[in-house]
Amino acid sequence: MREVYVAGIGITSFTRLEYPLVEIAAYPAMMALQDSGLKKVDHVFVANMASGRINHQTGLASAVVDNLSLTPAGAETIENGPASGASAIKAGFMAVASGLHDVVLVTGAERLREVNNLDATDAVATLTHPLAEYIYGVTLPSLAGMFTRLYMKKYGVTSRHLAMVAVKNHDNAMLNPFAHIHQKITLEGIIDSPEAMTNNPMVADPIRFFDCCPVSDGAACLILTTKEVAQKSGHPLVRLAGVGQATDTHAVHDREDPTELLAVRGAAAQAFKMAGVKPSDVDVAELHDAFTILEIVESEEVGFFKKGEGHLALERGETRLGGRIPINTSGGLKAKGHPVGATGVGQAHEIVQQLRGEAGKRQVKDAKTGFTCNFGGFGNNVVCLTFVREG
Amino acid sequence: MEKSILGYKCTKCAQVHYPNRTLCRKCGHNEFTTLPLPKSGKLLTFTHLYTLPADFEVTSIGLGIVELDGGTRITGQLEIEKPEIGMKVRGDVKMVRNDGYNNYYGMVFYRA
Repeated sequence: MREVYVAGIGITSFTRLEYPLVEIAAYPAMMALQDSGLKKVDHVFVANMASGRINHQTGLASAVVDNLSLTPAGAETIENGPASGASAIKAGFMAVASGLHDVVLVTGAERLREVNNLDATDAVATLTHPLAEYIYGVTLPSLAGMFTRLYMKKYGVTSRHLAMVAVKNHDNAMLNPFAHIHQKITLEGIIDSPEAMTNNPMVADPIRFFDCCPVSDGAACLILTTKEVAQKSGHPLVRLAGVGQATDTHAVHDREDPTELLAVRGAAAQAFKMAGVKPSDVDVAELHDAFTILEIVESEEVGFFKKGEGHLALERGETRLGGRIPINTSGGLKAKGHPVGATGVGQAHEIVQQLRGEAGKRQVKDAKTGFTCNFGGFGNNVVCLTFVREG
Repeated sequence: MEKSILGYKCTKCAQVHYPNRTLCRKCGHNEFTTLPLPKSGKLLTFTHLYTLPADFEVTSIGLGIVELDGGTRITGQLEIEKPEIGMKVRGDVKMVRNDGYNNYYGMVFYRA
């Protein structure tokens, strides 16, 4: 297997974007090509979840490769729900590692704000089991609500812990010019005062408004290639050192212990093993905080903290910028935003910036090892990536 | 006739699945018989959802996961004022959704 490196990166703002989806996908690809100094690629993977349903466009990769004038390079759309982005990076990794292709462009893009929030929520809810969940009105927030309630009872996590994740990630997003939400929030404003219940209404009891990520449009791109080609880009060398993926039952009620996220545990273990690093080696991580509870639980399942102790590490400030293991320096899905199919590529973009030393005010000092967890469905399909800076 | 939700019992290992599978999760076998699932059980977790897909005409619904007598688990709607984890519930098959074209039937649970 050949080693795989990142030669170029690009990103759009995560926000509401009034451009056609193809252009949203192409813009960060153009930036990544410029960043890498490359003009041609062998293959394009486009990550997207809902273009057929929301934007009335299928065969997205064919449109993107042509828009970028990269034909006749091969092109495929990768759909793996909210984990589409990391899945597309994994496809790019396999293509370069196997020797099939030398230069692969991976762009993730989503434009959900073309429709209203209820329709966007419904589009995402089609990830749930059609007969055993979806027909009842089950949405991702409702699964998160039921999960949070169990986690609170079993491990003593409180609404205040959840709010602490939101405050931290909003603070981080203030330092990220590409983040969707640039709004400083406080514990007093969203949990600790009488007004808080008005500012922060219930969405899926016990989950409140500020426990949920926004619905974003946006795109991000990575160019993956060999060491020889990546060295010519002139950037610090960042290697995609580990990929891991695992699945779990489709219907959440089918899980023996619904407080365990076994797919996160399995995917992370593989991504660490392949890279030859331990969770304690990680300097910076992007975890899939579509709901605040998920940042806490993923931080345990990937091995940063013991099961049931993630909220205690959060309390101690270990996951803040400047803490022992800063999590979601970009603002996370919570505040950077969640353009579903693009999210996993966006996470990788943040980690590459951190490892290159290009993260500006949110830079983690001398970050050498980075990690991402991209969480599909309600934990039924999870892809984790480990990145290592060389030299 | 009283409506029921069907479980899928593996003809080899007797594991009951809901929803159905092509291959048994326990033993990998591919033949099942159907049986009406019990209607009473224990509430494992729940939520009250205030942001519903556009085709719902109510502003909020209760949702929960129930372990039915015999151990099979199911997700359903709740019509319970103050639900608690572990409480006994009984279910009924009712219309749970109308998307403008079809009526969908599923389990609605009440305080037992």
